[in-house]
Amino acid sequence: MREITYLEAVREAMSQEMRKNDDVFILGEDIGVYGGAFGVTRGMIEEFGPERVRNTPISESGIAGAAVGSALTGMRPILELQFSDFITIALDQIANQAAKVRYMYGGKGKVPMVLRTPSGSGTGAAAQHSQSLEAWVAHVPGLKVVQPSTAYDVKGLLKAAMDDDNPVIFYEHKLLYKSKSDVPEEQYSIPLGQADVKREGTDTTIVATAIMVQRALEAADELEKEGISVEVIDPRTLVPLDEETIIKSVSKTGRLVVVHEAVKRGGYGGEIASMIAESAAFDYLDAPIKRLGGAESPIPYNPELEKAHVPQVPDIVKAVKETLNRK
Amino acid sequence: MEKLNVPEQISNDKLKDIYKQMWLIRYFDEKVDEFFAKGMIHGTTHLAVGQEASAAGACAVIEQKDKITSTHRGHGHCIAKGATVDKMMAELFGRTTGYCKGKGGSMHIADVEMGNLGANGIVAGGIPLAVGSALTAHMKKLDYVTLCFFGDGATNEGSFHEALNLASVWNLPVIFICENNQYGMSGSVKEMVKVEDIATRSKSYGFPGVVVDGNDVVEMMNVTNEAVERARKGEGPTLIEAKTYRWKGHSKSDAKKYRTREEEKEWKAKDGIKRFKEVLLEANILTEEQEEVLRKEAKKEVEDSVEFAKNSPMPGKEELLTDVYA
Amino acid sequence: MAKEVFMPKLSSTMEVGTLLQWLKEEGDSVEVGEPLFEIMTDKINIEVESYEDGVLLKKYNQVDDEVPVNAVIAYIGEENEEVPDEAPQGENQEDSGGDSDNDEEVTQVSTNKEETSEESDGKVRATPAARRVARENDLTLSSINGSGPKGRVHEKDVTTSLETKDGRLITPLAEKVAADNGLNLDEIQGTGSRGKITKSDVLGHVSSGTAESEEPERIKLKGLRKAVADKMLASARSIPHVTLTTDVDMTKVIEVRKALLPVIEEQTGYRLSYTEIIMKATAHVLGNHPTVNASLVDNEIVMNKSVNLGLAVAIDNGLIVPSVPAVQSQGLAELTVNSKTLGKKARNGKLTPDEMTGSTFTISNLGMYAIDGFTPIINPPETAILGVGRITEKAVVVDGSIEVKPMMVLSLSFDHRAIDGAPAAAFLTELKERLENPYGLLV
Repeated sequence: MREITYLEAVREAMSQEMRKNDDVFILGEDIGVYGGAFGVTRGMIEEFGPERVRNTPISESGIAGAAVGSALTGMRPILELQFSDFITIALDQIANQAAKVRYMYGGKGKVPMVLRTPSGSGTGAAAQHSQSLEAWVAHVPGLKVVQPSTAYDVKGLLKAAMDDDNPVIFYEHKLLYKSKSDVPEEQYSIPLGQADVKREGTDTTIVATAIMVQRALEAADELEKEGISVEVIDPRTLVPLDEETIIKSVSKTGRLVVVHEAVKRGGYGGEIASMIAESAAFDYLDAPIKRLGGAESPIPYNPELEKAHVPQVPDIVKAVKETLNRK
Repeated sequence: MEKLNVPEQISNDKLKDIYKQMWLIRYFDEKVDEFFAKGMIHGTTHLAVGQEASAAGACAVIEQKDKITSTHRGHGHCIAKGATVDKMMAELFGRTTGYCKGKGGSMHIADVEMGNLGANGIVAGGIPLAVGSALTAHMKKLDYVTLCFFGDGATNEGSFHEALNLASVWNLPVIFICENNQYGMSGSVKEMVKVEDIATRSKSYGFPGVVVDGNDVVEMMNVTNEAVERARKGEGPTLIEAKTYRWKGHSKSDAKKYRTREEEKEWKAKDGIKRFKEVLLEANILTEEQEEVLRKEAKKEVEDSVEFAKNSPMPGKEELLTDVYA
Repeated sequence: MAKEVFMPKLSSTMEVGTLLQWLKEEGDSVEVGEPLFEIMTDKINIEVESYEDGVLLKKYNQVDDEVPVNAVIAYIGEENEEVPDEAPQGENQEDSGGDSDNDEEVTQVSTNKEETSEESDGKVRATPAARRVARENDLTLSSINGSGPKGRVHEKDVTTSLETKDGRLITPLAEKVAADNGLNLDEIQGTGSRGKITKSDVLGHVSSGTAESEEPERIKLKGLRKAVADKMLASARSIPHVTLTTDVDMTKVIEVRKALLPVIEEQTGYRLSYTEIIMKATAHVLGNHPTVNASLVDNEIVMNKSVNLGLAVAIDNGLIVPSVPAVQSQGLAELTVNSKTLGKKARNGKLTPDEMTGSTFTISNLGMYAIDGFTPIINPPETAILGVGRITEKAVVVDGSIEVKPMMVLSLSFDHRAIDGAPAAAFLTELKERLENPYGLLV
């Protein structure tokens, strides 16, 4: 199998679907000849033309609403928001319209759209261009939330998201765009709501999302040298959440560390921790659940401070050891 | 019987239907008002009494394939787009036979299949949706237009401006209809908007804006029809400002302290239904007797809708978690 | 807030303790009652147990350091709590402004953790998994020692307690040492409480089991061995010893024992041995010879009122002398219970400092070996010691004819500075007579 980057996998997933399905189109700011803020759509306008690769004015609320309205009337739009921070501007259309239309209308109408947006820090873009706000949208019934961590996953999950008849918020991590993995050339779908055990282990379960999956795996490598066996689970989708896989793992290891980049307070890690505390895995817990998340500050500009904001490999190593009463 | 100055496709029979529809809207909202006052329905509601002409006139010139988006004050648009009052009343009673199976209520009545993309509880929330709907028509090369209703208050929302600009740069078949009923809740349009006519805001986005007497159903038809024709020809959007007045307060608990009784009286004198009746009588399209029959039919329809609603089942608890996802 | 660990004062005469080994490392979690370090005092070496639950935050002393009594030797507290880099100077602490600042900081940290008030609510800290396993096995959590922070019981603690319920107990350190040496735990004899295997048991096994080398094994004189060595040397060097011996006909003692053994066993569950009868007789006779029951302290002869008999007990790698107090007022049954209990405690290393001090006269019994007479070394500040040999049948001339009698040799060493030959001889003679006619003891 050939290796491609996460970014290429996103583009390939969209292009393959757009070749097949005329209802699918992409709209967003600077996605035309510019190729998008991160270059994801580079070359697409040349292939699909400006009708289906719609360069929009800088109007997040307007274009989000246009996506919802077109989805409600039969299209399958992919909306690219340049930075996931900008979802704040589009949030009425996402949270009040897209998420609720079907329910408010008693099951009539559907909003098959994908909102793709790069999230996360590590690029020095500071407080307004580095956030991870996935917990906000995960809180709203009617939305699905996806956070892929590998090139393979991003292609399969994006296909599933595009096939889904619901609004799907699809978080791409900026620092993962260049990461590579083996990706099949043909289209394939990874069902939303299916976690992936990225590494099997017996002592502690780490549930990590997005770039934290890579860091958790690095931490697991280090811990292995000390005889600690870590299981790393990537939920891949926050909504729907594959509770079963996590419960099964925690029931086995008796210990749970949840790691995400989003600010710890109110982050989705709390949801996973609570879910476990309420589940059958509770009786198998042999240490307090640990959560690692971003610091309770806006994301700073200075590279060292920026790094300090977000969980790093040594933080994960330490947290795992704490669950094992080891130093 | 003479021919009124109305769009070609509007027959005299259609005019009678429109007249009856205006009464249907009024009776419906008055009944709803009464039920809320009696505590028979819960939640909140926003009544369009006095604004019947803009909804009825605008929707008169479009077809079933065409679409509308509506507002929190949406019962009139809904009826004008062809909804049955039975299902609307049932929705307000929270019954399974309602348009939304009792899950939406007054602010969210929609009939997607009939082209009503829904009322909207968020001020200006429906405007970008209408643009999206128009985008579909454009991309799929479907010959439908989208009428986008909103109030004067919505024109101060960012999404109004974003949506108008988007529709303009993409040249989409959408007609923006601002029903300027003079108040956004308590905020007088005179206080909240500096321009004389909201319609002039279209100039910023490079398409026509028209001011119309919103209580003149004939003028509403003609102006809307012109805009629809432009849209169908691919000439892009139009902004219509229909100047009108809501007779009732903003919602059920409004003491209307922000306006005077004199002002209300003045506007009631410009009642769109009364004026249309005079036009129809004068043109011999309608006799007094026929007028009374139409009015009674409308009243009966509303009364029947109440019976229908009251006799409809309540949703079971199992309905709570259905329809969240497709 | 972090708690100081002090060098304990284990006897009235103890001024310093020598640190022999740390049984915990910095960062290890420690629970109340767990051995923290081993020290040697002027009398014994002993494992010092923790009075706190928590984490060993800081060790201020190295092995072989002599640490004054009440000096801070370590800190136990919450993980990551701040403690001083240098051991605080006991009495001077309050005078030091810097230190009190530190204290405040430490307090704040622990207050933030909101765990200070949770210590004494009587509830057991245990993880859900530990609770489940305990529930499934009808175990009471409070009976299980938790290995987690603040004694939190983890699943492994419960399963461990299950495994050792009828089998082996082992300290974590011993387990580690055994694992490091690839030893089979079944082959190791535990000497701790309930046969708990300690590190020294494992090390003892290691040294005994692998002594195949041609090289002589060299064992550093330390710990109890060192304490015994020092004490014996001091005694032998400074005390002018004289040893007297006499043969005792044990016929009647044997009769008495035979008669009383079932009675006392029924009453107490302990078996009467010759030692207790000899102790009883000794106490009785010492009452008539107070000079032999004296101590020599700082050029003063202290005539002790009570007869507190030291009982030399051989243990691994040393000798230890528990003291049975007020023997003169104890009946044989009581005495049997007390001496057996103390002997067991001594062998299990469970003697308290009080139980090792205060003896006024010591008995050293080698009767289980093929030993008749010997020259015991006095246990200062006592002034005399009685050596007891085996009971063996000997040909004895009685009224001109030879008879076979069970005979035993008594050896009395006395401090000639305090006691002269005649009173010592008189004491030993009366003791011999008392043992040969023991029925008087019973009245």
